[in-house]
Amino acid sequence: MSGRIYSKPVAFILMSVLVIAVGTLVTMVIPMLTPQMHPRLEALRVYSPLEMAGKDVYQREGCNNCHTQTVRPLRTEVMRYGEYSKAGEFAFDRPHLWGSKRTGPDLARVGLKYPDMWHYMHFEDPQSIEPQSNMPSYAFLTGNPLDQTSVEGRMKAQGLAYSEAEIAELEGKTEMDALVAYMLYLGHAVPPVVESAEAGEVTMEELGDHEALEHAGEETFEHQCSACHGKTGEGVIGPSLRDKVWLGVEGDIDDKVIFAIITNGTQPGLEYAGRPAKGGMPPFGNALTQKQIWELIAYIRMIQK
Amino acid sequence: MEEDFDNIQEFEAKATAKKLPLGWLMLYIGLIVWGIYYFVQYTPAISGWTQASAYEESLGK
Amino acid sequence: MDDYRYDNQTVNGFILSAIFWGVIGIVAGLWISVQMWLPSWNVAPYFTFGRLRVFHTNVLAVGLGIGAIFGITYYIVMRLTRVPLFLPKLARFHLYLFNVAMVLVALSLLAGMNQSVEYAELEWPLDVGVVILWVIFAIVVFGTIIKRKEDQMYISLWYVIASIVAVAILYIVNNLAVPADLFKSYQVFAGVNSANVAWWYGHNVVGFLLTTPILAMFYYFLPKSTGIPIYSHRLSIISFWSVVFAYLWTGAHHLVYTPVPDWIQTLAIIFTIFLIAPSWGSVVNGYYTVGSDWSAMRTNYLTKFFLWGITFYGLQTIQGPSQGLRTVSQLIHYTDWVPGHVHMGTMGWVTMTVCASIYYVVPKIYKTEIYSIKVANTHFWLVLIGQLMFSITMWITGIQQGAMWKAVNPDGTLKYTFMETLVPNYPYWQMRTVSGLIFTVGMLFFIYNVLMTMHQGKQRMAGAGV
Ligand code: HEM
Ligand code: HEM
Repeated sequence: MSGRIYSKPVAFILMSVLVIAVGTLVTMVIPMLTPQMHPRLEALRVYSPLEMAGKDVYQREGCNNCHTQTVRPLRTEVMRYGEYSKAGEFAFDRPHLWGSKRTGPDLARVGLKYPDMWHYMHFEDPQSIEPQSNMPSYAFLTGNPLDQTSVEGRMKAQGLAYSEAEIAELEGKTEMDALVAYMLYLGHAVPPVVESAEAGEVTMEELGDHEALEHAGEETFEHQCSACHGKTGEGVIGPSLRDKVWLGVEGDIDDKVIFAIITNGTQPGLEYAGRPAKGGMPPFGNALTQKQIWELIAYIRMIQK
Repeated sequence: MEEDFDNIQEFEAKATAKKLPLGWLMLYIGLIVWGIYYFVQYTPAISGWTQASAYEESLGK
Repeated sequence: MDDYRYDNQTVNGFILSAIFWGVIGIVAGLWISVQMWLPSWNVAPYFTFGRLRVFHTNVLAVGLGIGAIFGITYYIVMRLTRVPLFLPKLARFHLYLFNVAMVLVALSLLAGMNQSVEYAELEWPLDVGVVILWVIFAIVVFGTIIKRKEDQMYISLWYVIASIVAVAILYIVNNLAVPADLFKSYQVFAGVNSANVAWWYGHNVVGFLLTTPILAMFYYFLPKSTGIPIYSHRLSIISFWSVVFAYLWTGAHHLVYTPVPDWIQTLAIIFTIFLIAPSWGSVVNGYYTVGSDWSAMRTNYLTKFFLWGITFYGLQTIQGPSQGLRTVSQLIHYTDWVPGHVHMGTMGWVTMTVCASIYYVVPKIYKTEIYSIKVANTHFWLVLIGQLMFSITMWITGIQQGAMWKAVNPDGTLKYTFMETLVPNYPYWQMRTVSGLIFTVGMLFFIYNVLMTMHQGKQRMAGAGV
């Protein structure tokens, strides 16, 4: 290749363009012209104006610098975050917000995990929930009201469908409300994998010494549950566990049902002992062993007394 | 004072201008060969391997 | 000489601007490094981590990186073509516009105007500004090359041309967006497609800003400062065309195990691994060049800057490609390993080579000698130690993090909660702040040395009545 081209700048420029174009065409331009790069799951709902405004806040604050939004198809990752991300889940994201660094956890399925109250508390003061977290406080968002005209203009610019009523509902809402709404939106396009609600091979009786169980349960409770249900189960974001009201209905339920609730969480659509779940609690089936769950139940039964 | 000008001829060695170190050349060719192997192994249309099926398999373990 | 005096002042202006923005960006780097272990250092709303991190990357990549590239490229191009710049007034205007744009870049990012595409965060009015800056750069450089007095174009010019062409294509395509208002726009690409475009851009903009223009400097200043000619012309040719060809295929190595189609990921990985060879073409060429006369290491203080710089480039181009492999990505992707990789490149390769080039250029412009070789050596060692400490701590904590995310109990449940995988990073993040401080002190020595050289040059010129 030696010779003339190194003394002909115009030819050299053209040659560079050509060489650059090959990989660009094959891996970027041509795929873009095919449907495989524009998938959309049927269950994927368009952002409401409130949720979209929340996504804008997410972008403005640069949340994507610490949080990813794509669960990789790796066993432990699915256990930690939920079903792995599908191509058709992001059709309304301009641009994608997958991120490249997990200083904080992945958020692709966070909408299945916590109730709105949790998010309000967390954005207000992250350390009140996780004392050792390094996340900044976003309390100032509460003081920023949404501007209806601006949100509407942004929906239009993205070609997203919305109704007048949805815009009207923005009245009195703040950026904090929007951000929380966006958090709750995330992850719903793929139905969560529900584990068998069976209590499994281990039973509480087999585990022996009840007092030891209660003790171990107390410790797990403090780590995993107290942020929502209170230090001693008195209830904060989640309901009190000291009464005999379960899923909003009066009347006790069987240990095995409690086991199922802890394993699978309370995503809408699930039903326990004839009581429909309304959402708010994440599944712990992957995070806790069966033994740990029985310990928790032993602890809960103790504080109920 | 003179602006110090560059004489292009002095930038490049004459005697070794056409040399390609052997180890480097082997690396260059070796990586192309490896690339062909990897292409065959991991292109779904050729080998049937997919990310999703690899995941399913890992669950079985 | 007067033909060049005006242009030299333009070059000098870019060098000073790059130093200025470099200081601002490095302070932001120190700040965010503290925020990672001390969240009370977040000052909402303008100085929270999310905004400051973007400020850090942009101010350094654009302010320090591109600022230095503009100036030093102008210098190199004039020398290699034996003519003054084409349209010198335009080049001077370029300098002013660059600084105006940088002020707006800095302010708009702190205000949260942000497209959320990595390394393309700027909102659309500034995108337009960046394109204008780039077009001016292209006009001046191409114009100068076309009216040159030297028939052959030397290697450095190839890299300059390829960089200008590639960045123009990348930047324009990736930033296609629909504006909603003056401060907010939405990318025309969505979802998976947007990710594929964004990393086609992201990887290559790093390549054609933090690699090829720096190689242009390396190929120019190494023979200039050592007096030893480049070892093999043929090796340069093969490396050049292979790098420029292969780079564009590799964007999806940032998207391993995402929903981007498997075949695109596979192609990206193949070309990523292949890149080791042409990248090492330049490394080998550099080593063989100095290898023909090692005494240059002793006789010229700049030799070690360039040789260590290219060594970090070499390490970077082995580490980077390995990160693309599926098995490696699984472990280190999303962890602190990646900032470790990034800073070996930016602090070790880019900043080292740029500083050495500035050490070479400034005395030439001011017709004097470097103020102090001793200070330059102190600068060298501090920067080297700071950078190594930074990268090594991040690699350790990155692997630890990756391993903890994957760890399972004997019964198959996850061993650690997310918080339990975060807290062990804190001591390493504190060490990173310390290494950043060491690096910063090194850079202060550099700045002092450059400013004193300028001062000394001015005094001599005044003394000589020029
Ligand atoms: C005192 C020196 C520096 C310190 C303390 C520092 C600190 C940091 C920190 C804390 C991050 C965020 C990492 C994370 O999110 O986990 C970061 C990211 C980054 N820094 Fe620096 N930095 C320094 C110098 C530089 C220099 C000189 C450059 C470039 C010329 C640079 C370019 C970048 C880039 C490109 C990223 C983004 C990395 C990524 O996306 O993975 N930094 N830096
Ligand atoms: C042949 C050369 C190189 C290859 C193939 C390569 C490959 C990679 C890969 C695969 C990643 C993604 C890691 C991950 O997220 O899991 C990465 C990240 C990165 N590399 Fe390199 N690298 C190379 C050289 C360089 C050089 C010379 C520099 C800069 C001076 C550099 C700067 C970066 C930056 C800034 C990122 C962070 C991107 C982000 O924000 O996620 N790389 N590189």
